[in-house]
Amino acid sequence: MSKSQPRKVRLHVEDVSYSYPGGTRTRALDGLTLDVHDNEFLAIVGPVGCGKTTFLRIVAGFLEPTRGAVLCDDAAVRAPGADRGYVFQEEAIFPWMTVQDNLEFGLRAKGVARAERAAIAMELIRLIGLQGYERAYPRDLSAGMSKMVEVARVLATDPSILIMDEPFGSLDAQTRAQMQDELHRLWEKRLKTVVLVTHDVEEAIHLADRVVVFSPRPGRVKAVVPVHLPRPRSLEMRLSPEFSALKRRIWAELGLT
Amino acid sequence: MVTERRPARLRHGLVGLLGLAALYGLAAQIGSGRLPTTVYLAPHEIEGVELLPTYSSLAEEATFLVQAGILQSGVAVSTLRVLIGLLLGSMVGIALGLAMGWAAGLEYVLEPWVVLLRFTPALALLPLYVLWFGLGEMSKVGLIATGVAVVTLQGAYQGVRGIPRVYWDSAASLGAPRRLLVRRIILPAALPQILASLRIAIGLAWVTVVVAELIKPTMPSLGYLLALAGAYPRVPTIMIALAAIGLLVLISDGLTLVAYRWATRWVRRRHE
Repeated sequence: MSKSQPRKVRLHVEDVSYSYPGGTRTRALDGLTLDVHDNEFLAIVGPVGCGKTTFLRIVAGFLEPTRGAVLCDDAAVRAPGADRGYVFQEEAIFPWMTVQDNLEFGLRAKGVARAERAAIAMELIRLIGLQGYERAYPRDLSAGMSKMVEVARVLATDPSILIMDEPFGSLDAQTRAQMQDELHRLWEKRLKTVVLVTHDVEEAIHLADRVVVFSPRPGRVKAVVPVHLPRPRSLEMRLSPEFSALKRRIWAELGLT
Repeated sequence: MVTERRPARLRHGLVGLLGLAALYGLAAQIGSGRLPTTVYLAPHEIEGVELLPTYSSLAEEATFLVQAGILQSGVAVSTLRVLIGLLLGSMVGIALGLAMGWAAGLEYVLEPWVVLLRFTPALALLPLYVLWFGLGEMSKVGLIATGVAVVTLQGAYQGVRGIPRVYWDSAASLGAPRRLLVRRIILPAALPQILASLRIAIGLAWVTVVVAELIKPTMPSLGYLLALAGAYPRVPTIMIALAAIGLLVLISDGLTLVAYRWATRWVRRRHE
């Protein structure tokens, strides 16, 4: 986003370290400091095992950092909560609920009335183009459709930030590219603060305003690469020299070239 | 797939059942006049025993049992005992099982009890229950309920433990309060396992009621009818009582199966 004035800090990560409990006390993260601004799309890439998922789980409140603090909208994160929507690596929509019930779950948790719940669910179903699937069970959806339902389910409660952990990691390359495009469109329509972890450098560049590169374990911020490509971005753009330059730079930071 | 499989299952089941009935009829016809009619039940010799009653004597016996009201009242009383035992037992079992699956500490407290009771046959508890609860309904129903509770507890426990972590995490990050978690996550996700265990529990309940009805035997009761017919001995009565129990088991199993199919309507099946 190359829009306006100094933007509000949505997520503030202050000197966060994490060691796994147990005998070896493996250090996963070491002194991580990071700010994510309002409506910013931040992507995190890094080598396998560098603590990306651990970082997200700390931001979500599933894990408590060994040291340091996480603030979301200036409030300290202590537990999971609807202000930080989480899109998981694995399939996470509830298989025993219809698409509509999945979309309404977070609203039920907030105590939103039935009619309003249904209205929000319908709007989201339209947004992800799944009209006619309201009463379908996840077993009738493709993996890509399930992921979009999961993203929509998180958006339903209008969280402050959207956390995504390799959301398209398990999809085939073609579906993944489609989903990335879809997510990009969605993000353009519904501006959100997003923190996305991915192993796919192209996905990171395609979607993000800034790409953060983590170092190998223990994870630290090794580099921050701003992406100034114009929006809306298309798959076509991945063939441009600017895109390649960014890719080369991130690959270098990852130690791949 | 499912809608196609169901009538086939019913049809094939009926074929199996009718085949058995036909074979029995044939064996009884061949056996009548050939099988011995005298049985030595120490210390008596009993004559005029029809070891494999033909359909005509079964029909005669059934007519008598129905006209005398013995069969209907027996079915009614025994079914009621099974139902009450099932209700009480599954309420306790499912509640404890869910709690055990949910609260990690409770699991280890209750585990020895579950293991202990799982391998204790209902019959072994019978003398104890008679002393504790007397000779009335309480010990009969209690015996059924105990067996049902142990089986459904395990079903509910495994049902909860089998819920993948990602669903717990999803519910938590969507801000689900406890009530919503129980109603919309834990219960529906564990329901298939609970109903599968209930199917086993229902079979067990029918086995147990026959034994339990030997506590202070009084008449409208299928269990005592069986015992009495064995003592006389009257094989046609035994056969009719067995058939009645068998039919009730089949019906209750069928009903549970319907419930199980409904509870698993969302489960992704392979090759579908």
